[in-house]
Amino acid sequence: MAEHELKQIISQLEKPHNLHQAPKLLSKAKLGLLHLHALVPSANTSPQHILLATSVLEHGALLSIRLKDTEAFTRYYQQLQPFYSLPHERWHRAGKPKNQSKVTGLYLLLLLSVGDYAGFHTVLEGLEMSSGKEHIEKDELIQYPVRLEQALMEGSYDKVWGETKGERVPSEEFAVFSEVLINTIRSEIASCSERAYPSLQISNAKNLLFLDSEGAVIQFAQARGWVAKDGRIYFPQQEAEMLAAGKDVMSSSNTVIENTLGYARKLETIV
Amino acid sequence: MADKMDIDAANGDKEEEKVGPAPNLPAERIITNNFNLINQAVDSFDARFTLRALRSIATIRKATDFPEALAFGIRTAFPKPQNNARQVLEEMLPEDVRSGGAQQNGGGEANGAAVKEQDVVEIAEVWVYLGLLVQVSDAQYWVYLFDHQEYQRGADFSSNFVDKIRSFNRRTMDPIGAKAYFYYALFHENLAPLPPSEQSPVIEIRPVLMAALRSAVIRKDDETQAAVTVLLLRNYISTADITQADLLIAQTQFPASAANNQVCRYLYYLGRIRAIQLAYTEAHANLESATRKSPTAGPAVGFYQQATKLLIVVELLMGDIPERSTFRQPSLEAALHPYFKLVQAVRVGDLQAFLKCVHAYEQQFRSDGTYTLILRLRQNVIKTGVRMLSLSYSRISLRDICTRLHISSEESAEYITAKAIRDGVIEATLDHTHGHLITTPARDTYSTTEPSEAFHARIEALLGMRDECVMAMRYPMNKHRQEIAEAAKARERERELAKEIIEGDADADDGDEGGFEGM
Repeated sequence: MAEHELKQIISQLEKPHNLHQAPKLLSKAKLGLLHLHALVPSANTSPQHILLATSVLEHGALLSIRLKDTEAFTRYYQQLQPFYSLPHERWHRAGKPKNQSKVTGLYLLLLLSVGDYAGFHTVLEGLEMSSGKEHIEKDELIQYPVRLEQALMEGSYDKVWGETKGERVPSEEFAVFSEVLINTIRSEIASCSERAYPSLQISNAKNLLFLDSEGAVIQFAQARGWVAKDGRIYFPQQEAEMLAAGKDVMSSSNTVIENTLGYARKLETIV
Repeated sequence: MADKMDIDAANGDKEEEKVGPAPNLPAERIITNNFNLINQAVDSFDARFTLRALRSIATIRKATDFPEALAFGIRTAFPKPQNNARQVLEEMLPEDVRSGGAQQNGGGEANGAAVKEQDVVEIAEVWVYLGLLVQVSDAQYWVYLFDHQEYQRGADFSSNFVDKIRSFNRRTMDPIGAKAYFYYALFHENLAPLPPSEQSPVIEIRPVLMAALRSAVIRKDDETQAAVTVLLLRNYISTADITQADLLIAQTQFPASAANNQVCRYLYYLGRIRAIQLAYTEAHANLESATRKSPTAGPAVGFYQQATKLLIVVELLMGDIPERSTFRQPSLEAALHPYFKLVQAVRVGDLQAFLKCVHAYEQQFRSDGTYTLILRLRQNVIKTGVRMLSLSYSRISLRDICTRLHISSEESAEYITAKAIRDGVIEATLDHTHGHLITTPARDTYSTTEPSEAFHARIEALLGMRDECVMAMRYPMNKHRQEIAEAAKARERERELAKEIIEGDADADDGDEGGFEGM
C-alpha cells in the first residue's frame, strides 16, 4: 500500500545520515504521492494524505537546503504553497504542518542572499496579510531574516555578522546561508570603504572586513585591486573618479543636445 | 460617474454620504427618463447617452424612495407581471417593496400601458440597466443593514447577471456591463470570509473576471476591459498576491481610451504594486498621476486621500520630503494627520520619534495598507539623521553620532556612515584611527548637471500632461461621417458655383471685371 510505503520513506528521511540517498528517496516518495493523487491538493484529498504530502515536501525542502540545491528548494517551496493556504478545517485532527515557518523563513533568507529584495518584500507582504501581525512577530524563524534584512539595509553590518554566528542562528539549515551572507556583507563593506576612507591600516581593515588574518586582508585587497603598502591600504578610486568626471561633461553635453532637440520637436507638434 | 470611486472612498471618511447633490426630480421620473436615453443610445449607436443615464445612478440611489421607484421602473418597462424578465428582477427587491408593489399593481399597469407606446419593452439594454439598478439597490440596501446572508443573494444574482450580459455581446451595452462587473466584484468582496483570508470568495471570481477580460478584449470593449482589469488588480492586492498582479499587468494592456476614473484606479494599483516591489521611482510616477487625475472633492475624496497617503510614503522612501502644502488641503488635513507626524519624524531624522509615531498610529497605517512600507522607512530615517549631522558639523566623532542617532555601537555607526557615503547621501570621508567623520565642503550645485536635470524632469512632466490631454479628448462617434457628407455637399456647391461662373462668363464677357475683384 502506497500510504504505508510513504510513511516508511518519511521515517527513513528523518534519519540524518541518509543525506546522499535522500534525493532518490524523495523522488520515490513523490511518485507515491502521485499515486495517491496528493501531490497537489484537491477538494477531496483526505487530511491524512495532505499531511503526508506536506511532510514529504517539507523534508524535501529542508534536505535540498542541506545539499545546497537552492533551485530544488524553490521548487519544493512553490509546491508547498497550495498546502499552506488550505483552510484550518482541512487539517483538522491530522495536525498542522510542522515546518511551515521554517521553510518560509529559509525562503526569505534565500531571497535575501541572492539580493532579491523585491521578492523578499513581496513574500513578506503576503505573510503579513495571510497570517496576521502577531503570528509573524512571534515567529523567531521568520523574524530572523526580517532582522537581517533591516540590518543590511541600514548598513549595520556588524549586526549581520553577529546574527550569522553560531548560537544566534535559529537552526542548522539557516547556517547554510551564513557563508553567502558574510560574503555579501564583505563585498558591501569593501565598496563602502573604497568611497569612505582615503586609506586604511591593514589591521583595521582586518576588523572591518571580519577577516581572520592580515594575510587574508592582503589577498582580499589584491582581489579588489587595492594597493597595499607600508601597512596601509590605498584605494585607487580617486583617479577613476576624475576620469568619470571628465566623461560626465562629455556625456552631459550629449544629453543636453538631445533634450533640447526633443523640446524643439515637441513644440513643433504643439504649435 | 463620481460614485464609481466609492469603493475606495469607503476606506476614507464616511462624510461622502452627505455631499451628494439633491435630486430635483423624483427618482422614478429619472428612471423612466433614462429608458428614453438608453433607447436613444441604441438607436444612434452613441455611448454618450448611456453614460448620461448611468451618471444619474449616483442621484437616484440617494433618493429615499429608491426601491419603490425601482419597482415602478421595472413595472413600467415590463408591464406584464408574468413576464420572465420582470420576475427575475422583482425577486431581488426587498420584501416590503415587493408586496407594496403588488397592492399598487393596478396603477402600475395603467402607467405601463401609457409608456408601452414608446416601445421600451424589447430592448435588452433596458433590461440590463434595470438589472444594474437592482444590483445598486441591493448593495445600497444591504450595506446599511450589514446583513451578510443577503450579500450572498446579491452575489448570486450578480453572477447570473454578468453571465447573461456576456452572452448578449452588444456594443451599446458595454458601459452598463462594466458597471455590472463592478457590483459583482463588490458583492463577492463582502462575503465571508473577508479577503485577506485565502478561502475568500474573491478568489473564486477570478476565473469569471478573467473570462470577462478575455471577451472584452476580443470584442474591443474598452469600458469592460478597463473595469475588469482594475477589479482584478484590486482582487489580487486584497489577498496580497502581488506576483500575480504584476504578471497581469505585464500580460495585458490597459485601454488608452478608458474613462478617467478607471485610469486613476489603475495607476493607483500599479503604484501600490511597484511600491511593494521597491520600484519607488515608477511607483511615484504612477501615484502622482493618480492623485493629479483623481477628483479632489465630492464623493471620491476618499480615493484621493488614500492615493495621497501612499504617495507620501513612497516619497519618503525615495528620500524626498513631501511638500508642506499637501497637508494643508482641507480635504486631506484630517485624514493625513498621522502621516504628517511621520513626515516630521523622518524630516529631522529622529529615530525615536519615528518609532513612537509608527507605534502610535499602527492601527491606522495597517488599515491603510501602508504599514509594511512604513517599516522600511527606518533606514531612511537613519540616513536623514546622518545627513543632518554631516550638514551641521564639519567634523564629528562616531561616538557622538551614536548618541545622537541612538545607534547601539560605534562599529554600527561607522558602517552606517560608510554606507551613506557610498550611496551618495553625504559627501564626507571617515578617519578610522581617530573615529571621525569629516565632511567635505559642499560643491556649488549650479556647477553640476543637477539644475538641468530638474528642469528636464519638469518639462517632461508638462509635455506628457499635454499629450495626455490631447489623447483624452473624446469625439462623438460617426462625427467623421457627417463631415464626409458635409464635404461632399461643399464639393457639390463648389461645382455648381464653378458652373455658374462659367455660365456667367459666357453671358457677360466683359465690362464686369469689378465683380470678379470682389470675389
